[in-house]
Amino acid sequence: MRDKTGPEILPSTPVGRARLLILFWATGALLGYVLIGLGYRQLIQSGDLKLQSDSQSRRVVIVPPARGIIYERNGHELVVNRVRWSVKADLTELQGEFRKAYISLLRKNRAAGEKTDGDTLLERARMDVLQGWLDKVWFVIDASERRLSTRKANVNGPLQSHRERKVNVDELRRHLRERRALPFTLVTDLSFPDPSGREGAATPEDGNRSVARFIEQFPSDGPIRLESDIVRSYPNGGLAAHLLGYVKDTDSLPMTANIDEQMESLQKLRLTGKTGAAGVELSLESVLRGTSGWELWSKTSAGYNHELIRRVDPTQGGHVMLSIDRDIQRTAEASLARILGPDRTPLPAAAVMIEVRSGEILAMASQPSFDPNRLSIRVSSSYYEEIDAQGGWLNRATQGLYAPGSTFKIINAIAAMRKGVVQWDEVLDCGPSFRVGNRDFPEHTPEGYGPVDLEVMLAVSCNVWNYQVGLRTGVDAIAAEARRFGLDSQLLTSPSDSAEGSSFELPYPAGRGLVVPDQAYKRKIPGAGPWSPGDTANLSIGQGYLLTTPLHMACVAASLARGETRTVPTIFHDPRRDGRHAGSAPIGLSREQMAAIRSGMERCVEEGTARSVQIPGLPFAAKTGTSEYFKDGAKAHLAWIIGYAPASNPVVAFCVLVEGQDDGTWGGKTAGPVARDMLLRWAGKATSVDAPVQGQPGDAPR
Amino acid sequence: MNRDEKGVKASYVLLILILLLWCAGPSVVRRFSREAFTEFQAPALELVGKSRDLARSWELRSRSTDELVEAGRDLGRINAALELRLATLRDVNEENARLRQILAYSPGPEYRTIVARVVLRENTSWWQRITIRKGRNDGVRPFSPVVFGRQVIGRVAQVHMETSEVDLITSPGFRCTAHLEGDENHNIVLLSGNAAGGIGRALVSNVPKTYGGPAGQAPRLTTTGIGGVYPSGLDLGTIEGSLRTTPKGEFQEGDVVPPRALNTIHEVSVLVPVYPSPGERLTESRIDDFR
Repeated sequence: MRDKTGPEILPSTPVGRARLLILFWATGALLGYVLIGLGYRQLIQSGDLKLQSDSQSRRVVIVPPARGIIYERNGHELVVNRVRWSVKADLTELQGEFRKAYISLLRKNRAAGEKTDGDTLLERARMDVLQGWLDKVWFVIDASERRLSTRKANVNGPLQSHRERKVNVDELRRHLRERRALPFTLVTDLSFPDPSGREGAATPEDGNRSVARFIEQFPSDGPIRLESDIVRSYPNGGLAAHLLGYVKDTDSLPMTANIDEQMESLQKLRLTGKTGAAGVELSLESVLRGTSGWELWSKTSAGYNHELIRRVDPTQGGHVMLSIDRDIQRTAEASLARILGPDRTPLPAAAVMIEVRSGEILAMASQPSFDPNRLSIRVSSSYYEEIDAQGGWLNRATQGLYAPGSTFKIINAIAAMRKGVVQWDEVLDCGPSFRVGNRDFPEHTPEGYGPVDLEVMLAVSCNVWNYQVGLRTGVDAIAAEARRFGLDSQLLTSPSDSAEGSSFELPYPAGRGLVVPDQAYKRKIPGAGPWSPGDTANLSIGQGYLLTTPLHMACVAASLARGETRTVPTIFHDPRRDGRHAGSAPIGLSREQMAAIRSGMERCVEEGTARSVQIPGLPFAAKTGTSEYFKDGAKAHLAWIIGYAPASNPVVAFCVLVEGQDDGTWGGKTAGPVARDMLLRWAGKATSVDAPVQGQPGDAPR
Repeated sequence: MNRDEKGVKASYVLLILILLLWCAGPSVVRRFSREAFTEFQAPALELVGKSRDLARSWELRSRSTDELVEAGRDLGRINAALELRLATLRDVNEENARLRQILAYSPGPEYRTIVARVVLRENTSWWQRITIRKGRNDGVRPFSPVVFGRQVIGRVAQVHMETSEVDLITSPGFRCTAHLEGDENHNIVLLSGNAAGGIGRALVSNVPKTYGGPAGQAPRLTTTGIGGVYPSGLDLGTIEGSLRTTPKGEFQEGDVVPPRALNTIHEVSVLVPVYPSPGERLTESRIDDFR
């Protein structure tokens, strides 16, 4: 019971009604303000606020696609995507270790009385931790025989660190600045031999062993992981490097699916993808590249990726089949590599082989070349300069501009016969030289050839016959004939426009800088004066201002083989190709005239300038050429050979060019062996795959 | 408050205190407690295992004479076949020895074999881990491969004084490199536990797209022998069904059926390497060096 004698409760001080009302309304107003503010934020601003929140807590990672595969005509892979194994450190999981190392360093510094900036200390802590892990990684993965033997001997010794493997502080800084959300790469490309020997494996076997050792021995639940991604690989090394090209880094690849509006505002992190930098890799970029996927991640307050919320996979690019035959290409390159200059280094050269009917290019080699594998991950300036110094960037087969020399005599003869200034069986007297104006134009033998007809001219490559006939024909008719054979037109154009933004099969089509000279051309050259008969004489033997490419001359050979004027070459394989060539027409010679030209080219191999490269059992037609040019101020020779095989039923046409350095360079002797090697390889394949067994000498493979 | 209520409260307080101590205590204490518990449990596990063996022995003793005669006859046949195989192997051994003599090649033994009985298999996670009745005292070391015949069962994950825990090949913690049957390029593929297809299956990944497998039969997987843990050529199982292409389209992956029913294994062999692998040494120094 309550004690009634307790203290008395007094009434509170009376409050005026007005004051109560003021208090009530003030409280109400404040409450209303809060409620309205809340409502405004919840109902009106909620979308924007959610976006702000998401943009601070979420991130989109753009994942690049794998590029399409490039095959050669028989289905062998020329360019593939190989797996690249890299050891990466998850920086989020290492936060604790970083903190411990930081505190430890801080204590040491304080004990030593040193004063160090906090950021510097944190960086040192990170470096120490990552270096510790890197040492452990190499302790496990280094599987070279030397290390194995050492380890067996010192199996109970202390952990051996590889001091040559250091974490690069600049790379770490860049990573933290630009890609903090992603794991930091400790070892790149574990399984691929690195020619420089600085990183990666010494041999493929070493690389495989390192990957296997990491998988089987390194703890899988720690912060260090083995991750794989896809990189471009050229399994045949430098084979057809100019044709295939190489790839470079890019951050702007198209997306598989559009990121919706909500994600548009989020921070985006693009993983580096690859884009074509040269060759087919560049010209067919739109086909090969594929489309990127994306991943939506939540992120920590420190900016690291935390949890994967959603993922859309990238789509691989389309595959491409080239017309190249790997074996013939390999033979062409190997054969070119055997042509050495006085300093025992391979001479600059090019070789092309074309299928006569379809125009498909079976081989296109250019020397010197490069290894696209060494460019696919990173283009080092030293390797770039090395290739540049050798002149290896130039695709001599399509971009090299050369005077065709005596191989042009065929066109000179055709122009003359079409104009009717010489007959196919007309015999001309050909002495040791021919005077044009006040200058003697020489034959390439001091005694001359005497009576020479068209067949003999082609067999022995008589200059004087061409001077006489060229002057009779005139520059305009010769130039017109050269143009009719396409010597002024761009090749490797793509009528179907398969490459986006480009109408060429290669980024630099064969055709820039071509010259088919005539009077108008010379008039445009300042100080050159008018066209003279001497210029016509020079043009008739394929010298002077005339400039063409080895691919153009291979096309001329293919056109001759078919009896037409144009061959449209292509680097893409299509078994349904109908053999028609845009802009092509019959050459317009009589049967006897054509027979004389063909016979002359056959005699060139049987008894003429190409007799040293005869192939028993495979008669073929050829025309050699040796033209003069100036290299580094000194006179040098270009060695040419063009032709087709088999002579009776042509299937392939070819052209070989070698940039010689001395007087010992001759078409048949220098360029001929390359043509012979390519033909032998082609004949071997044709025999083993398509045709019955090669018969007696004289039976050509079909 | 009566004494019972006080006792209940006290026990809760004690439990909370223990939990707090466990969470706040240094890792060395936690590790010691865990190890102590395992060692305390070991005799019980051994007793259970031996009782099971005894029960099995008595069950066999209760078989009829006819059954024993039939079993004896079967054994006789198997023995005869094995005798023949033994003779062949003897010839191979002699040839091997002769060739080694010619080459002056004398490889030391790479592995030592320890036979162990399975003493514990948790019903809820039989496809992840088993406990075997051999431990540090018997020379078992972590990372050692565990096999049955030429079939890989898993590898030793943790070693205690008298027992060891083995990660089975279907366990998420298991990783191994493998070669595929019929792969002429000898590509390395990755075998890991816990396939998406379900428990009791492993996952093979990084299979090249060009790989087709042998015609008409499920491809077998064998160890590569280059990872430094498993000898080469051991059976890792067969691929179940067809391989599927990975999202990026560069590789294939598939489910792998272990070479042996993992829930029926009673005895295994531990292959203890003569030389400890670098990975083993890192694991040993894990507490003070790794984390």
